[in-house]
Amino acid sequence: MLRRRTLLTSAPAIAIGMGLIGRNALAAPAALTSETVLLPRKGNAARIVICGGGWGGLTAARYLREELPDADVIVLERNPIFWSCPMSNKWLIDVVDTGFLAHDMIAPAQKYGYTTVQCEITAIERDRKIVRTSQGNVDYDFLILAGGIRNAYDAWFGEDLEAAEYTRTHFPSAYIPSAESLALKNKVRNFTGGTIVMTLPPPPHRCPPSPYERACVMAWHYKTNNIPAKIIILDPKPQVAPIGAGYRAAFEELYPDIITHVPNAKVKEVDPYNKRIMTEAGDFDFDEAVLMPPHQASDMVFHAGLIGTDAEGKPTGWADMDPLFFHARQDDSVYVIGDSMGAVSPHFGHYPKSAHVANYIGKIVAGYIGQRVRGEEVAMRLPDNLCYMMVNGDPQEAISVEFTYEMGADNQVHQTQIDIDVRTPDLMKEDFVWIDGMFNDFLR
Amino acid sequence: MSTTPPRIWISNETPAQGEVVRIRAQIVHPMETGFRIDAAGQPMPENLLQGFQAHLDDDLLMEWQPETAISQNPYIEFTFAARRSGALRMVWTDQSGDIATVTREITVGG
Amino acid sequence: MTSFAEMRRRQLLLTGAALGAGLAAVAVPFPARAQISTIAEPQPDDAESDRLAAQFLDGQQPVNEGLVLELPALGDNPAAVPLRVHVTEAMTGDSFCEEIIVLASRNPLPLACRFRFTPMTGSADVAVRVRLIQSMKLRALARMSDGRVLQAKGEITVAAGGCGM
Ligand SMILES: Cc1cc2nc3c(=O)[nH]c(=O)nc-3n(C[C@H](O)[C@H](O)[C@H](O)COP(=O)(O)OP(=O)(O)OC[C@H]3O[C@@H](n4cnc5c(N)ncnc54)[C@H](O)[C@@H]3O)c2cc1C
Repeated sequence: MLRRRTLLTSAPAIAIGMGLIGRNALAAPAALTSETVLLPRKGNAARIVICGGGWGGLTAARYLREELPDADVIVLERNPIFWSCPMSNKWLIDVVDTGFLAHDMIAPAQKYGYTTVQCEITAIERDRKIVRTSQGNVDYDFLILAGGIRNAYDAWFGEDLEAAEYTRTHFPSAYIPSAESLALKNKVRNFTGGTIVMTLPPPPHRCPPSPYERACVMAWHYKTNNIPAKIIILDPKPQVAPIGAGYRAAFEELYPDIITHVPNAKVKEVDPYNKRIMTEAGDFDFDEAVLMPPHQASDMVFHAGLIGTDAEGKPTGWADMDPLFFHARQDDSVYVIGDSMGAVSPHFGHYPKSAHVANYIGKIVAGYIGQRVRGEEVAMRLPDNLCYMMVNGDPQEAISVEFTYEMGADNQVHQTQIDIDVRTPDLMKEDFVWIDGMFNDFLR
Repeated sequence: MSTTPPRIWISNETPAQGEVVRIRAQIVHPMETGFRIDAAGQPMPENLLQGFQAHLDDDLLMEWQPETAISQNPYIEFTFAARRSGALRMVWTDQSGDIATVTREITVGG
Repeated sequence: MTSFAEMRRRQLLLTGAALGAGLAAVAVPFPARAQISTIAEPQPDDAESDRLAAQFLDGQQPVNEGLVLELPALGDNPAAVPLRVHVTEAMTGDSFCEEIIVLASRNPLPLACRFRFTPMTGSADVAVRVRLIQSMKLRALARMSDGRVLQAKGEITVAAGGCGM
């Protein structure tokens, strides 16, 4: 499986039109024919298929059912449970338990009246309006791609799949809901001392402030347990951002002997076997590592042939969709929501790749599709964003960042970012209020 | 105005005699410059934080006058040398008057 | 409301299925949306900032030491660029910092903010966040109780984008 996925997306230059390769490479289980239909149509109702049951996908599912009470809404998701990445750094040090992050996906489906199918999405045939999955084919009227991100190990290792696999299993990044989360937690807990290197992906990437949060909670764990650990953050950016001042204060005041932040440390080469990493800010040897490769849109956007290209015609690695209405530029029966989305503004590029934004865009797109199906004019809406990041374990303190969006006179979206750099216990409490509201919104 | 209380962080509420205490404080405020025009073409009225004062009991420790350049949700960090115990009182003021006050006890040599 | 079965039938007849159902709605021009503009204009040169500095100096020669202005390497968020100003010498009852101003030379209004201190403060060390309309020079001036004016200068490149002014 890994091999196929890697092959599918390892060479960005041939990314466009990959649906074809996907179909050829599809090794369907014997019982399935290539035309097995997974679910029958429900009468005349509009069918909206959502690929990916994460933050964006499950939110869209709930709100589509409210927008269009007759609609046949189907969520396709590979994982058996919903696993929240938000709060998962705090879970590394047991601020929350596993039950806090893991959620039943069947209960909300029953409550709101949509269907969830646990399966792997293997190809998307837009010309036939069909999604191919490990369980059979599903046809759609509208398609929502909500697959989150993929780890672009190929940017580090090219065709060397073995090195990618070794890195993924030995130095998991735990940035995608998967087996890596527990593997990372065990690594953090079993570490007895030495140097830990953490690479940050270059922007844009999933949840920019959370790698620093992870460094803080790990440092707090080592500090309180007297484990002689050094954490080296290799940051491709020239400075800590967002909430740079709040993080810098935490690094210097709370973890001066543990955390070192290295700016401009763009990764040149990774040697996972010899535990060595070469960057533009020098070479680093490590005992343990959290290696986050560059991020790209989830594989399904490549499968659908909807990856954008830049001014020089090179693939951007992110979806090419309308910046205000979020349908693919090439195909307006397909929407892209959440972290897979490409740039939305020449002023700031991408919306922050956050759960808050994925949830917000999920709602907005449910509204857009509702308006279209009802034959109404589509009324544009803009999201906002809000993230809380824990920096101290005792007392528990957090910092935060807020983003607001406005249409400018230039017909482009403008962003205002406000960092809340003052670490306080109330921000920690607000974080719990935020996530409780989110879980109530689409999981309970 | 937002009902969110100001965020306050104090390096040490029980400092030694003469210790330099660092305060970080941030308040929710739109800091509307008066330069902006809304969607209907109307100017958005200026609404700026005009002052911040920190007192130890009745002694003024420092005063800050933000102008249009100060970011939304203004942040201020300052220090003072703790020479005696007292009530550290911080007051934020805008066009509509005093909008927030926070008091914290500072106990020197505790 | 069009039946979706009907739409599907029609779509199948179309060769380019990508141009399928219900698409007319999306082609509708953007509906009324919140559009906020600004009349804020950067200063064309440093003249206004220099005038404010001269006013603060009141005929004094500035001393280019004893005051530090810290700015980030890059203002990646022009709506909130962190800056710190501090006087490095020790404060005593006779010699303390009375007032600091920060000038952002090209902002529409270059006076970014003003601070006042007292003998009770015992230090002069402040940090704030400023919005900067473009890349520019910044300068801080500190008046000491003995009449000296300390000066520190800096320059910053800010990323393009909204500064919220
Ligand atoms: C450590 C960490 C901390 C974070 N903290 C915060 C925070 O505090 N606040 C915040 O707002 N955001 C936070 N985030 C970011 C947040 O998790 C993401 O931005 C959010 O999950 C994006 O939503 P999404 O719907 O795009 O993707 P996801 O939530 O990842 O959902 C995508 C889903 O698609 C499924 N999928 C993908 N491909 C296939 C396929 N081929 N077949 C079947 N299923 C597939 C995946 O299994 C997944 O369930 C954090 C992230 C991390 C890693």
